[in-house]
Amino acid sequence: MFEHEDDVVQRVIEQLRRPVAIDPALDARVMEVIAAPRPPTRAIWPWLAAAAVLVSLIMWRPWSRSFRVEAAAFQFVLVAPHANSVSLVGDFNDWDPKRSPMRTANGIWATVVQLAPGRYRYAFLVNGVEWRADPGAPAVPDDEFGTPSSVVTVGGRGS
Amino acid sequence: MGIERVESSDAELVRRIRTGDIGAYGALVSRYRDRLGRYALHMLGDREDAEEALQDSFVRAYRSLARCDDPARFGAWLYGILVNRCRTSGARAARRRRMFVRDADALHGAAHADQSDRLEWTDAVDRALARLAPESREAFLLKHVEDLEYEEIAELTGAGVSALKMRVKRAREQLQRYLREAEHV
Repeated sequence: MFEHEDDVVQRVIEQLRRPVAIDPALDARVMEVIAAPRPPTRAIWPWLAAAAVLVSLIMWRPWSRSFRVEAAAFQFVLVAPHANSVSLVGDFNDWDPKRSPMRTANGIWATVVQLAPGRYRYAFLVNGVEWRADPGAPAVPDDEFGTPSSVVTVGGRGS
Repeated sequence: MGIERVESSDAELVRRIRTGDIGAYGALVSRYRDRLGRYALHMLGDREDAEEALQDSFVRAYRSLARCDDPARFGAWLYGILVNRCRTSGARAARRRRMFVRDADALHGAAHADQSDRLEWTDAVDRALARLAPESREAFLLKHVEDLEYEEIAELTGAGVSALKMRVKRAREQLQRYLREAEHV
């Protein structure tokens, strides 16, 4: 039956190329999810939020420290002397270029954003079309969106 | 054929979505669901996992639409999201279930005399595919089933063209061997 590899593989390919039946309701489910407000409101959320706050308080023990953990200002800088515009986009601004436009002085672009403790992925959008990772920060190893990005981690203890 | 620019309509739909027309996304979902669903199904080997990965990819793509820097190539960008989603899903599931997929034609159009042979062949192919290493299965499916060029696959997967060619070659050899074994069981 299997005399030539090419024949067998060709039959496999033909088999795998056949259309498959995907649940017709999938379209509606996708549209339902994207139309829903974020984050999804479920009865368990308030309890999870309360638990998270409690754990945070226990871990940080603000009553025993002289500082409180709050959002802090962070400056992002990119050297791009030939750029006409640069925006900072990331998890902290929903990747919206309009929210964090950067200002330039002699080709050095900078902006300041307030970041609460956490881990954020971000990138620079140059001239509205070119995505650049931050050369001075760790790269996101496997970005599912196919564009380069970096990651910054803001510590929770005054860092 | 490869991942093609779908005229200008993808770009137009993306533009409408960006201006607040959420309904336009339904057209993109409808356009890509079957082709992407086929890839997910063959990659993961499980219908439930595949549809979950597909749905999640559509949702993630919508929520990250600002990062699609070439709306005319929305399909290619979406493919990349699904490929990555299948990788994580596949790793998590570790192919914990072996529910092999037969296409609807094979199941319902089986009034032919060779029905059992055909189902047997379908099962044999699915089992052989499932035995491939994930990266080999991924490369084989993208190259030969989804008909992408190596350069496009490299863009999607982050692997080099040489490595991809090797993976596809290995996959072809292994499929041949596994199917030969199945014939003699």
